[in-house]
Amino acid sequence: MSEITPTEAIVGQVAGVSLGLSPRKGSTPRVATHLRDNRTAYLMISPMVILLSIFVLWPLIYAIYLSGFQISFYKGAEFVGLKFYQDVLEDPKFWTSLRVGISFAAMVVPAGMIVSLMLASFIKTLSSKLAGFMKVTVYVPAVISTVVASVLFLFMYQDQGVVNWFLSLVNAGPVAWLNNPGTALPAIAVPAIWLGLGITTLIMLAGLLDIPDSYYESAELDGAGFLKRTWYITIPLLKNILLYLFVTGFTGALQMLDLPLVMTNGGPVNATTTPNLFIFNNFRGATPYATSYSLTTALLLFVVLGAISVLVFRLINSDKSVDG
Amino acid sequence: MSLTMISSPKSEPGLRRGERNRRLKIVGVVLITVSLMFPLAWMVIAGFKGKTEVLRSPFQFFPDMWDPKNYISVARDPQFVRAMVVTFVGAVIFTLLSIAINSMAAYALARLDFAWKRFWWVFCIMPMFIPGMAILLTSFVVVAKLGMLDTMAVLIIPGVASAVQMFFLRQFYLNMPMAMEEAALIDGCSRWQIFVKIFVPQSAAVFVVVGIGSYMAYWNAYVWPILTITNPDLVQIMQFLGNFRSDRGNEWGLLMAGSTLAALPTIVLVLFFQRYIVNGVRISGIK
Repeated sequence: MSEITPTEAIVGQVAGVSLGLSPRKGSTPRVATHLRDNRTAYLMISPMVILLSIFVLWPLIYAIYLSGFQISFYKGAEFVGLKFYQDVLEDPKFWTSLRVGISFAAMVVPAGMIVSLMLASFIKTLSSKLAGFMKVTVYVPAVISTVVASVLFLFMYQDQGVVNWFLSLVNAGPVAWLNNPGTALPAIAVPAIWLGLGITTLIMLAGLLDIPDSYYESAELDGAGFLKRTWYITIPLLKNILLYLFVTGFTGALQMLDLPLVMTNGGPVNATTTPNLFIFNNFRGATPYATSYSLTTALLLFVVLGAISVLVFRLINSDKSVDG
Repeated sequence: MSLTMISSPKSEPGLRRGERNRRLKIVGVVLITVSLMFPLAWMVIAGFKGKTEVLRSPFQFFPDMWDPKNYISVARDPQFVRAMVVTFVGAVIFTLLSIAINSMAAYALARLDFAWKRFWWVFCIMPMFIPGMAILLTSFVVVAKLGMLDTMAVLIIPGVASAVQMFFLRQFYLNMPMAMEEAALIDGCSRWQIFVKIFVPQSAAVFVVVGIGSYMAYWNAYVWPILTITNPDLVQIMQFLGNFRSDRGNEWGLLMAGSTLAALPTIVLVLFFQRYIVNGVRISGIK
C-alpha cells in the first residue's frame, strides 16, 4: 500500500480530492506541487482571461457606465441615474421591437423544434448509411452564413421569384412577401428555421439514440402509434434537451440581427425591427445620446435574457444531479 | 437524384412489409433532401442565368443555356478575390489562435488544481450569459480607443477567446482517462509537457469540431466587419456580399453566383469533415 500512496496523492490532487495523507509523507511535496500547478495554471488561463477582460468585461462595464451618464461635448459626464432606463421603457418603439422579437421567436422556435424532432425521429429509423447521408443533408444549411441566406431568400421572394411561382401553380396571386407588414416577419422566419434545423436535429438525434429501444418496442406491442410514442416516451425522456434547445433557441431568435438587417432593414413600418436591429439602428443613427440610449436598451435585454438562461441552466443541472 | 424515379410503394401490392418500409424511407429521404437543399440548388441554378432570364415572366425553372458567365465574372472581380483571400487568411489565423488559447484554458480548468479556480471558471464562462448586443457597441468603442479599427487585428483578436469553445474542450478533457497523465507525472513530466505531448495529440477530433466552429464564425461574420472595417483592402467576404447587394441589387444572376462562391468554402469544409461534426454533438455532453 505504501508504494501506491504518492500516486494516490497525485490522483487526489488532480481530482481535487484531499486524501488525508500522513503529515510526514504528504505535506511538503503536496505544497510544492500545488505551487507549481498554480503557476502553470495561471499561465495557461492568462491569455483567455486577459482577452476576455479587454473585449468582454471592459465593454460590459463601459456599457453599464454609459447607461447611467449623460455625455456631452460641453460638459463632462453627468450622472443621470436611471433616466435612460426610464426613456427606453417609455419608448413605444422599444416595446414594438420587443413584440416583434417575441413574435419572431414564437414563429421560429416551436416550428423549428417540431420539424427537428420529426427529422431526428425519422433519421433514427434509417440504416446507418442513409442516416449518415441525412445527417449531412440536414447539417449543410447550418453552415450557410446569414448574409448568403438573406440575399438568397430576398431573391426567392421577388415578385417573379420562385416562391410566387410555386403559389401560381395553385392559382394564388403573387405576394409581395417582404413589402407587406403582415407577411414580412414570417418571410424572415423561414430562412431562420432553415438555418437552425441542422444543429437542433443533431442534438435531438443524439438524445433519441440514448433512449433504449425496449421502451418503444413494448409501447408498440401495446398498440401505441407514432404520435403516442412521441408524446409519452420521447418528449418526457428528452425533457432536458428540449428545454435546453428551447431556451437557447428562444434567446437566440430574440437576438436575431443579420437577417432583418440585410433583408428588410426593419421595414415595412418597423414590422421586422427586432430588438437588436432597433438597438443597432439607433446606434448608427446620429441622434444625441444615441450611444447611451441604445446601450441601455441592450442592457435591459441582457438582464432579461441572462436571467432566463441562468434560471434554466440551474433547472437542468439540478435535475441532472437528481437523476444521478 | 436517380432515386426520385422509384415508384410509389402502393403500386406494387405484392411487396413484403420490410421491403415496402425500406422504399417508403428512401422516398422520405429524397423528399427531405430535395426540400432542404432546394434553396441552395436554386442559388446555384440562378447563377447560370443571364440578366434578362433570371427574373422573367413567364417563369422558367432552368436556364435556356447553362452559361457560366456570372461565375467567371465574379471570380475575376479583383475585389471579390481579395475579399476571399483576406477572409481566408484571417479565418485560418483566427482558428489556430482560438484553438491554442481556448484549449490551454480548458486544460487548466479541467485538470489542474489552483487557487481561486472556481472564480476563474465562472469568469471564463461568463460571456456565455452575455448577449452579444450588450457588449457589441461598447466593444466597438473599446477597439476604437485601442486604435485597432481597420486592421486585421480587430477582426481576429476580440473574438478569439470563446467561452463556448472553452466549455466544449473542457468537457472533453474532463472525460479523458487519468492513467497516462499519472504515469507522465511520476516520470517527472511538467504540466506543460503533459498538455503538449499527451492531451494535444489526442484532441485532434475535438480540435476539428471547435476549429470548424471558429472558422465558420469568422467566415460568416457580417455585423462586426461592417462596424470596424472601412479600408477596401480589408473588406471581408460577407461584407463584400452585403455591399454588392446594396450597390448592384438587381443583377440577381451575378449576386447568386457570388453568394454560391462565398458559401462554397464552408460547405466543402463541412463535407470534408462531416464525420467529425456529426459526432461532435456526442463529445459536447449537451445531450
